[in-house]
Formats: sequence, structure tokens, C-alpha cells
Amino acid sequence: MKKRLRQWAAALCALALGVSLAACSSVEEEAGADGVFDYGGRVTLRILSGSENRELEPILDAFAKEHRINIAMEYQGSLDIMRALQSGATDFDAVWPASSLWLTAGDTDHRVKHAQSVSVTPVVFGIRQSLAEELGFVGREVSVSDILDATREGRLQFCMTSATQSNSGASAYIGFLYALLGNPDVITAEDLASPQLAGQMQALLAGVDRSSGSSDWLKDMFLAGDYDAMVNYECLIISANQTLEERGEETLYVVYPYDGLSLADSPLGFVDGSGDDKEKAFLELQEYLLSDEVQDEIQRTGRRTGYAGVSPENGDVFRADWGVQPDRVLSPIRMPDTDVLFQCLSLYQTQLRKPSLTVYCLDYSGSMSGTGHSQLVDAMAQVLLQENAAQHFLQASENEVNILIPFDGDVRETHTAQGNGEQLEALYSVVENEPVGGGTDMYRAAMEALRQLQQYDLSQYTPAVILLTDGASGGSESAFARAYEAMGADVPVFSIMFGSAEPGQLEALAELTNARVFDGREDLVAAFRSVKGYN
Amino acid sequence: MKVNPKLAGLLILLAVMACSAAYMLLSGAAETSELRGYVGGEKIGVLEDEEIGKILARKYHITLDWVKAGSLDMVTADLDGRDFLFPSSQTALEYYEQRHGSPAKSEIVFNTPLVLYTRRPVLEALEAAGMVRERDGCYYMDMERLAAELERGTRWEELGLPQLYGTFAVNTTDPAKSNSGNMFAGLLANVLCGGVADESNVRDVLGRLQTIFENLGYMETSSSDLFDQFLKTGMGAKPLVAGYESQLLEFAVQNPDDWAQLKDEIVMIYPTPTVWSSHVFIALDEKGAAGIDALMDEEVQRLAWEQHGFRTGVAGTAQDAQRFDVPYLAPEVTQVAPMPEYAAMEQIIAALQ
Repeated sequence: MKKRLRQWAAALCALALGVSLAACSSVEEEAGADGVFDYGGRVTLRILSGSENRELEPILDAFAKEHRINIAMEYQGSLDIMRALQSGATDFDAVWPASSLWLTAGDTDHRVKHAQSVSVTPVVFGIRQSLAEELGFVGREVSVSDILDATREGRLQFCMTSATQSNSGASAYIGFLYALLGNPDVITAEDLASPQLAGQMQALLAGVDRSSGSSDWLKDMFLAGDYDAMVNYECLIISANQTLEERGEETLYVVYPYDGLSLADSPLGFVDGSGDDKEKAFLELQEYLLSDEVQDEIQRTGRRTGYAGVSPENGDVFRADWGVQPDRVLSPIRMPDTDVLFQCLSLYQTQLRKPSLTVYCLDYSGSMSGTGHSQLVDAMAQVLLQENAAQHFLQASENEVNILIPFDGDVRETHTAQGNGEQLEALYSVVENEPVGGGTDMYRAAMEALRQLQQYDLSQYTPAVILLTDGASGGSESAFARAYEAMGADVPVFSIMFGSAEPGQLEALAELTNARVFDGREDLVAAFRSVKGYN
Repeated sequence: MKVNPKLAGLLILLAVMACSAAYMLLSGAAETSELRGYVGGEKIGVLEDEEIGKILARKYHITLDWVKAGSLDMVTADLDGRDFLFPSSQTALEYYEQRHGSPAKSEIVFNTPLVLYTRRPVLEALEAAGMVRERDGCYYMDMERLAAELERGTRWEELGLPQLYGTFAVNTTDPAKSNSGNMFAGLLANVLCGGVADESNVRDVLGRLQTIFENLGYMETSSSDLFDQFLKTGMGAKPLVAGYESQLLEFAVQNPDDWAQLKDEIVMIYPTPTVWSSHVFIALDEKGAAGIDALMDEEVQRLAWEQHGFRTGVAGTAQDAQRFDVPYLAPEVTQVAPMPEYAAMEQIIAALQ
């Protein structure tokens, strides 16, 4: 009798638990995620991941379907993942940065367990085939210095992600540092103080024609624009080439700088404290990803998997005619220890990177009154006030320019701040005190932004317009498009969607200017931080 | 019928609570207690072993819940709510005693020697350079030569390996945080001192040790992560690493298919002399002390050797080595030096922090 009762109780428990889990899992946990795979599974794994894993979504989708485990992917740069770990990462059950470097640096509280590398891919240069030939980079070993020479001579410009936001950019930048320092065994704090270094690195980074906060978007941007080269993961260069070939366009040749190579080992780890159910689900996912079959599928996406190297059957992915060397012994540079690494990154952010020239067009129309306005002020405090910005490696540099254009149905006054000192703080006071009222015409504000930008030699800056709007805009898109075409410069107009902004209008701007739209409706502060990481 | 979702949630919650209470009351079995603690990554395989888990639950009524941490790192970690630490050395125990006083109980549970792992082309180059010698089917590293090449900054190229970039190095974990790196530092200190380093003579070699480790740059904090990277990132990334003998034995047993692909490529080298890593279980409270009895269980000890490669008191004898499909495994580890005493290790850790 007692046994019966017990079984009954257990069954009831299971039922009630099942209901309560299903009730909360999909709705709350998937909110705000970038990629959701929900087939009504019993549990949801929230994974904070580098954007390069976006390409593995079909594999995650298949897993969610087969195993009845939902997956919610949120994509951030590896450095953001590190910071999320440092502050507890309580919103996530698992982390999946590009490199274990950031996992180790972030996991100071030892909360990550079961971390295992899913695949490996090196950070390489992808250079337009004919240009690579012209530069003499085809069929021979190339050093970072060879690439730097070509850049200094003005023969090569390239796109790369921000070194303080994304692993691929950070890896490349550390490679450049080694080369400029004459290839020491390891970079030390004293090396960074060298007076020649700053000048040389600034000259080199002046060759960066577009930046980005994420590797995957860098590839998308590259494909949407007209550029010669990019620094990115081997797997994303392969993926870009597949698209380029489909379109009948020239493909990129992969160059492995032998004295500046880094590997991304893509560790997937569980964040302890998420509960036993989640842990079991996580291990199921990990086992799936590491199974022979799925490892081969992952290898088909251009990532190196398994112990035996790239299988000969995948030679059609790792193509020799694209310069890809699947059998190459990948011998990376030594990463400096964490303290020195962070000094390198600070130096990049505040001094060495190409200075940014950012125009903020901010909507002060009537509908912004109240919480909209206060959220906007909070968000701008994160990027303009240097103490806050430093927490996310978003500090302004000495030579950068920030311009503020508050608008409603019309353009209000324009405010310009040079450098990273008082003028920038003053800009924040304007943001705080600007009154709210009137209609919305973002096109006028954006056209004014272009007029402002034309006063500068854009080749000396990383220019961008950051536009925030909370409502459908009046005014004329075609007038803006004409002004943009007439200017003939490659300036992205990033927009932040807020309130009841019209997504279609913003997408059109992004497409015209090869930029992207950030969603600030869930978290405006995070949206501003992300967009700032792109420039 | 329209149900207020908040009310429904509350009802479900109450139902769950009532059911759980009923279930616990009715089942009435001896409560299994959960021990929470920090563990060095190389022993996770043991703690995740289902058979071992069953023995722990059945005979000792305990389960272990753990988070991975470096052997030294765990001593300074937040110990609130933890019942045990399971580091990989006596040094960690002495470090603990110094910071927190005597633990409730402690005991060495497993042993394994520190070894070097490499791949065949690197082995051949090191043999040609006279740094590594083969004896009775095992490979041995001349530690004096190794220290000399590290200090000289010899380039891989000079050793006949132009495909490897940079200077000859042994990748280790961070000696100030994790045990395998720490023991390798102790081993190097012995070599530089020309005998077991002690409190007084170690001072003279700290500067040289610092230079050797500084040149390594960024170091992993976990022996298991380092070993995983050694296997996965290939010869170029980690040509020569320090680790535990148990790691390869466990890998070969647990992943026979992967091992079949790697067997001809991966080589284990014993440093001469080497040092023992003594995996000591530190019980922080009475509850934790139950973990020692459980892990010292004869059956658990046998499984720890056969399935995970840890040499223990009852298993891991000379005849037994053949059970592993791992070439160059030494039946007995004979050339062993003691680690420097704690007072010397303390100075080493401080210098390498």
C-alpha cells in the first residue's frame, strides 16, 4: 500500500513539475535571444555565444528537434562573454566564446564546468585572389611584416573586428604587436611603453577600412560592400568564398601569417548553478556536438574538428585553390599573460585604433518623454562618461570626434566634442538637458549628420552615424539616399530601434549604408554598448 | 473557464511542494547527502564515473557535486557551503593549512607521476638532440638538458622543426594556480638547484625560474583544459606539455576510437627524475570526511586505476600496466625526486605570481 502511494506521489510530482517547467521555460527564457530553437522541449538551454557560431544554427536546430531540448542562442563578442562571466552570467546556462582564453579570464569564480572544445579555426587574412597574387602572397610563407609593409605602402586595406570587442580582432591585433616589436618570445608591459610602437601601430591600423563588433557580421558586411580583404576566422573566409563563388565574384585567398597566427578553440561550457535538468540537457547537447557524425557536419562548415585532422573528403570545403591549407601545422603565437593582454587592449582602445568619428542623431520627439528619455540618458551615460565606458573597453581615444544632433521633426542644434576630455562630458550634459517635444524626422537628422561628416577627412577616421528613433519617421528617405550617394563615402548608419519605431524604415537605411539595426526595445543600454563596439 | 495565470502558477507550485513532501515522507530511505566541493580538472573523469557514483551512493550514501578549480586557486576560493577540496598535491594541503588551519580530515587518495606529452615528430627531434632517451620501451627526458634549452631560448627551428614557430617551450598550467604547472616549477627548481630545492638555496634560482615562466605568456589554469587542447589543437599549438600520466591512460580507456587515431602520434615521456602528484582529499567538515572513506573503498580504488589511470595503494602495480593499450607506459615509476618542501614552494609560487 505504502509503495502504491509513493508511486502515485512520484507520478503527480513529475506531472506538476513538467507543467510548471513547460510554463516558464519557453516564454521567459527565450525572450530577447537572437536565435531560438523551440520544439516544445522539456527544458531550455540559454547559451551565450560568439557570433561565429551562428553558422551552426542548422545543427542546433536539428538537435532541438531530435532531443526535445530547446536552445536560445544569444550572440555577443568574446570579450563581452568574458565580462558576463565575471559578473556572474546568471542569465545563461552555458557559454560558448570563440577562445578558451576569454573563458578562463572571465571565470574567476570557477562556475564553468564541462568545458570542451567543439572545433578549432585559425584567425587568418582573406585577400582578394588577384590582389594576393599582385602582392606576392600566393604560394609562399607570409609574415605579419609582409602584410604590414603592403598596408603602409597603401597597397592593402582590410576590415577587421574591434580588438576590444571580438576575439578575431584581438587575436590579429596581438599578432601585429608581436611583429612591430620584432617578435619577442612574449609581449611584456615594458614593450608596450616603447615610443616607436604607438606611431607604427597607428599607421598600421589606419589601413583598417571598416570595423565591426562581431566576426560574423564582419563577414556579412564584407559581402555587402566592396572591400579587398578581411581578418577573420578561416571558417568564415571559407563561408564568404562559398557565397562569392555562387555570385560569380572573385574569391578570397587565405594567408596564414606564420609569425602572427592565433587559434580559436571554441569551448562550450556549462555555467554551474543552472540546475540538474539543465546540466543533463547541456551534456546531451555537448555529446551530440562531439559525436563523430556531427563533428563531420561541423567540419563541413570549414571548422577543424576531431583528432585526425581534416578528412580528405572535405577537400571541397578546405579548398587548396583558395589558399586553405588543411594539413598545415598551425603554430600560434603565445598570448601574453592576462594582465599584459588587458594593457594591450586598453592601449588599443584609447590610443592606437583608428579614431572614431561618431555622429549621434537622437530622437527628442514628444513620444520620448518620461521613461524613453530617462533610458536614453542612461544609455548615453554608458558610452559618453569615460568611467562607465572603460568597463566595457568602449573608451574614447584622444583624437576621436563625437557629434550630437538632437532632433524632432526638425534638426535642433549640433554639438561637437573633440577627444576624450571635458568636451565629451559637456556633450553628456546636453543629452541630459535637451527638452522633449515635437514630431519625428530622422532623415533630416541623418542628412545633417552627412553634412557634418563632410567637414572631415574621413580616411583618417572610422566614421559612423548612430541613429536612435522611437517612432515612424516622417520626411523623405529618397532625399537622404540621394545625399548619401552624392557624398560617395562608406559611412554606416547604424540605428537603434526604440519605442514604436518602424523596423522597415531602419532596415532600409541599414541596407543602403551597409550597416545594421540594433534592437533597443528590450535593453537600450545594451544596444548602445553594442553599436559603439562597432566603431 | 478562465484561469488567472498567476493563480495557476501558485497552485502548481503548491502541488509540487505537497508532492515532494509526500514523496520524501513515504520513501523514508537513508538520506543521501550531497557533498559540495572544488576539484582539480584531471579527476573529473573519476567523479563522473557512473559505477563509482553508484558505489558512493549505495555503500556510503553520498553524492559529490563539484566545480573545477586549480589546486592552489581552490584554497583561496570562496569556501562557503563547500564540504571538500580535492587538489592534486601535498603543497595545496600545506597551503590550505597555512591559510585556514587544520582541515577536519585529509588523506592522499590517488597518485600519478608528472609526465610530458608530445607528438612523434617532436619526440624524434628531441631524441636527435640527445634530450630524450629510450630505455626498456619507455622515453625519458633529461631534465637538466631541458632546463638548459629553455634558458638558452633555443628555437624550434634549431631543433630541426621549422614548422613550429618561436622558441622551444614546455606548456604548463599556471604554476601559481594549478598543480601540474606548480609541480613542473618545483621540478625545474630542483634541477636548477642541483638537488631538492630548499628554503635557502631556492632564492638563488627564483630569477631564472621567473624568466622561464614569463616567456610562456598566457597559461591555462586547468590541467584537463591543457590536455584537451594538446590533443585537439594539434602539434603546432602545443608541441610539448606537462601533465599527469593518468590523463592519457584515462583518455585511452574512455575514448578507444579516438585513441586508435592518435595512438601512433602521441608519446608520453617521463622526466628524470619525475615527481609524484598526490591527490589529496581535504574534508572541510564532518560531512566531507565521509568522502575519504568512500574514495578509499577498494572497489573505487580499483576503478580509479583501471578506468582513469590513477595509481593507488591497491592497484597500479607493475604487472598491471599491460592492461592499457598505451605504448611507452612505464610499469613502475622508479626515478622520483621529492617535491621541494612547502617553505620553498611558497617562495616559488610568490615569485611566479
